Amino acid sequence: MKSRRAFLKIIVAGIASFFIFIWNKLTLNHLKTAVKGEKKFPFNKNKTVSFNGDYIIVSQNNSTTVFSSHCTHLGCKIDKLEGDRFVCPCHGSEYDLNGKVIKGPAYKNLETVPSRISEDGNGIIIEG
Amino acid sequence: MKKKKDKTTFGTLALAMFWLVVLSGVFIAIPFDVKSPYFSISSIMVGNPWASLIRNYHYWSSQFFLIFSLVHLYEHFHYKEKIGLKKGMAFRLGLAVFIIFLAMITGFLLKGDSDSRQARQILQTLSERIPLIGESLAYSLLGAPESYQLIYVHHIATFTVFIAIAMVEHSRKYWPPIIDFILSFAGILGFSYFFSAPLHDNLNPAVKGPWYFVGFQEILHWLKHPEWSLLMFLAVLILIYLVNSGKEKTMFLSKRTLLVFVGFYSILTVTGLFFRGESWKWVTPWNDEYSYSVLHNFKTPKVEFSPEFELNEVIESPIIQGRKESCLACHTGTHGFTDSHSPEAIGCFSCHGGNPFATGKKQSHRNMIHIPGNLATAKQSCGTTQCHPEIAERVPTGLMSTLSGMISVDRFVFNEQDNPDILTDVHQLTNSPADGHLKNLCVRCHLGNPKTGYGPINETSRGGGCLACHLNYSGEAEKALAQNKGDLIQAHPEISLKVTDNHCFGCHSRSGRISTNYEGWHETTLEARQMPDSSNYRLVEGSRVFIKKQEDIHHQLGLECIDCHHSYELMGDGNHYAHQEGQQDVQCSDCHIEGRPGTIAAENLDNESAIIAALRFGNISERKFLVTEKHNRALINTFVENDSVYFLTKNSGKKMAMKPPAGVCTSDHAHSSLTCSGCHTSWAPTCIGCHNSFDENERGYNMLKNKEQNGAWVEYIGVYEAKLPTLGVRKTENKTEIIPVLPGMILTIDKKSFTKNENDAPIFHRLYAPAAPHTTSSKGRSCVSCHNNPVALGYGEGELKYEIADGKGKWKFYPLYEPDINDGLPADAWIDFLKNREGNVATRSNVFPFNVEQQKNILTAGACLTCHPENSPVMKKSLNNFDGQIKNRSKKCILPDWD
Repeated sequence: MKSRRAFLKIIVAGIASFFIFIWNKLTLNHLKTAVKGEKKFPFNKNKTVSFNGDYIIVSQNNSTTVFSSHCTHLGCKIDKLEGDRFVCPCHGSEYDLNGKVIKGPAYKNLETVPSRISEDGNGIIIEG
Repeated sequence: MKKKKDKTTFGTLALAMFWLVVLSGVFIAIPFDVKSPYFSISSIMVGNPWASLIRNYHYWSSQFFLIFSLVHLYEHFHYKEKIGLKKGMAFRLGLAVFIIFLAMITGFLLKGDSDSRQARQILQTLSERIPLIGESLAYSLLGAPESYQLIYVHHIATFTVFIAIAMVEHSRKYWPPIIDFILSFAGILGFSYFFSAPLHDNLNPAVKGPWYFVGFQEILHWLKHPEWSLLMFLAVLILIYLVNSGKEKTMFLSKRTLLVFVGFYSILTVTGLFFRGESWKWVTPWNDEYSYSVLHNFKTPKVEFSPEFELNEVIESPIIQGRKESCLACHTGTHGFTDSHSPEAIGCFSCHGGNPFATGKKQSHRNMIHIPGNLATAKQSCGTTQCHPEIAERVPTGLMSTLSGMISVDRFVFNEQDNPDILTDVHQLTNSPADGHLKNLCVRCHLGNPKTGYGPINETSRGGGCLACHLNYSGEAEKALAQNKGDLIQAHPEISLKVTDNHCFGCHSRSGRISTNYEGWHETTLEARQMPDSSNYRLVEGSRVFIKKQEDIHHQLGLECIDCHHSYELMGDGNHYAHQEGQQDVQCSDCHIEGRPGTIAAENLDNESAIIAALRFGNISERKFLVTEKHNRALINTFVENDSVYFLTKNSGKKMAMKPPAGVCTSDHAHSSLTCSGCHTSWAPTCIGCHNSFDENERGYNMLKNKEQNGAWVEYIGVYEAKLPTLGVRKTENKTEIIPVLPGMILTIDKKSFTKNENDAPIFHRLYAPAAPHTTSSKGRSCVSCHNNPVALGYGEGELKYEIADGKGKWKFYPLYEPDINDGLPADAWIDFLKNREGNVATRSNVFPFNVEQQKNILTAGACLTCHPENSPVMKKSLNNFDGQIKNRSKKCILPDWD
């Protein structure tokens, strides 16, 4: 009797594992198919900071850098500049214009996203 | 006897709530649009009171379902005996508690507002950081970034079904006792009518999770590695499992641990809910921003079944930043805005606050900003993230907000500080005599002084934040305001770039009086009743009488104040300056250029200048603009075309060619240190002999608090005169220049009047102040007006004579005024004749009168001018080689003897 119950438990655990395996596979495969394409935003090199959804474009000293607008602490979206600092609305982490953490709880710098300026200079292409 | 199965417990109440949640959820699914959740919920709140009621019902029944479920759990804990559930059941129940929280948080996410979007990011990040399955789990729970489809499916199906199964398995019944159901139904109905489910306005920068996760948000803000917080959830679930199925000691310990945790978590929840504001900053009820930053979370208007507008008005009203605003359902046809500030672009709420989702007038207008633009509320209106946040941060740093120079000089004059150049701010005023004097007589003009009444900016206006410069009433709007008897006004004043001289006039017609000077009006000491009936006189503010003088050449040509002064000068550039000459950027030589101008192409303009230029002048893409020498800022109303420099007036677009400086200005070595205003100022207002005393019996006014007070400072004015200014020397790191100065502070202060010590001697000062009179004339002042003029040299009024006797020349000065008892100098003098003066001499540390050597140089040329007309070849030659001319002078020429 006991061995029958143990056997059934193993079968059930096997089925559960199968579903977990399938779920993980199908989700990861789906994520791969959702190709992250390039995104183009209008670009003004003389605007020091522009917030564009998931990205923060910073132009200073004749150079442009694109940062992810998501705080490295918990991913909250940063959409505000206070003085010369980006401040996360959720927990108050602060970054300077180079994306460097200057106040926690975040301890990692803002993620830099590869980008390039379009040929006409009016757009910025961000690799998603 | 009541059967045990019909007994009311928190468990049966939770069961009742569950069915009410499900039922209301089915109803709210009808108007809810998962593709645009925020818009659909705002539409429900604004335009569909019945759906709004059901949404509230769904919200409140779910909150009480959570509360009752947790209390029911506690009920079990309360039994001393072992609960003794089977392990499988205990596991599923523990899991069910977790799933209840998931069902709740997915409901929170489905609002699609700022709170929800940030909560979603947090949930996603935490899920993704779970090893091995994190990425799959995050996506399976939340779906694609901009889609709410999976969240919705889990909310209405996955989690709900699981909870239903767990409940039925646990309680072995489907339905609650009928009385519990009825009581729950009625109670929630009452709640739902009076208190709306929350929806963030997407403007307030403070974002928070749902109340039951606010404690968790507090914990997260402590953690550098927030993913570890997930272990806390796991520990709580294990504890719940052990409470239900563990043996006695384990169960007891688990219960106690859970209780301690709940107590601790409750404290964190209260902290997060009531003491955390924007960016999770600590805020207490005593902070000014408490209401805006914390209490906005508790905006809960009741459902209005008969709003004061038709549904049609809601349908036709525009969508503002993804939401419907109830304001525009009542305030239809409001007009008068510029495009960027029209209701179609920013609605009403962006500027006026209030509650955009309430449908009753009283509730909608609660906490409304009736006059937006005042600096105290600028961050909540003009300065919100989507609008002008950088400018709202800069303006309070500018001198028109800080009044640093005015305060510093006043404290210096009261002997409260050693020099007049200390940085300070009007918000740092103390109770010192100088600050009391400022509060009583001076500090009404700072931009932070709020505008408290409707109506256009006029000559009596002071302060007003953004409105001080940008508010304009059309004739229609002014008439509508004057005739208003409480009805809705449709003609709205305009907020625009149309900054006119009238905006500046109120504040700048005082003190240095640059507004009146510029227009060619000089203040007299006449009273209104003494004013002659003549167009040569003008009455300002009903009591100040001005007489016509020469207007500034730029005013004559049609230029207004903003034609010279750019946005970074007027709204601050983010730096603190002690005095206006620090913040002032534009100089005459930026426009009146000799040689090749410094320019900037349109494509290189800073963003603010580019926007203003485009709004004012349209397509600017091919233009090259002049830049200022001092701060390298673009002058957007200038441009260079075919090697010529042109100027456009900002408000009227009048084009004119810019003139280079005259040859005499640039080729003259003798006067290379002389500033343009030193020579081209046609007149300046002066006042000497001012006496100040404090009268404790006089009714006064506190300009900072805007209320009356006991005791007032009384100013006994001396003589007002309009004349050519005195000249002084300003030494900076880079240059030494000759500037116009005025007898700014020749005064006495009756010290004993405020110290009440009869032995205190009066404070006396003889300070001149650098001036920017704004009375420019195209023709510079004459040579003799400086070289042979005792006022220009700083001696004051009197007769300056060059007397020749016995082959020797002597300069002599006969002052008009008697020596002052305080320092022996004539009342209006800056310096004694042919003497040095040191110590405190000016309202700046870097401004000085001419020293003896300089006086001698000036007077030597003056001696020549007593015989040679200034346009004579000799004098013209002397401009480039004065020493050579002196060397080769004729025998008839007698130079001054200084012995």
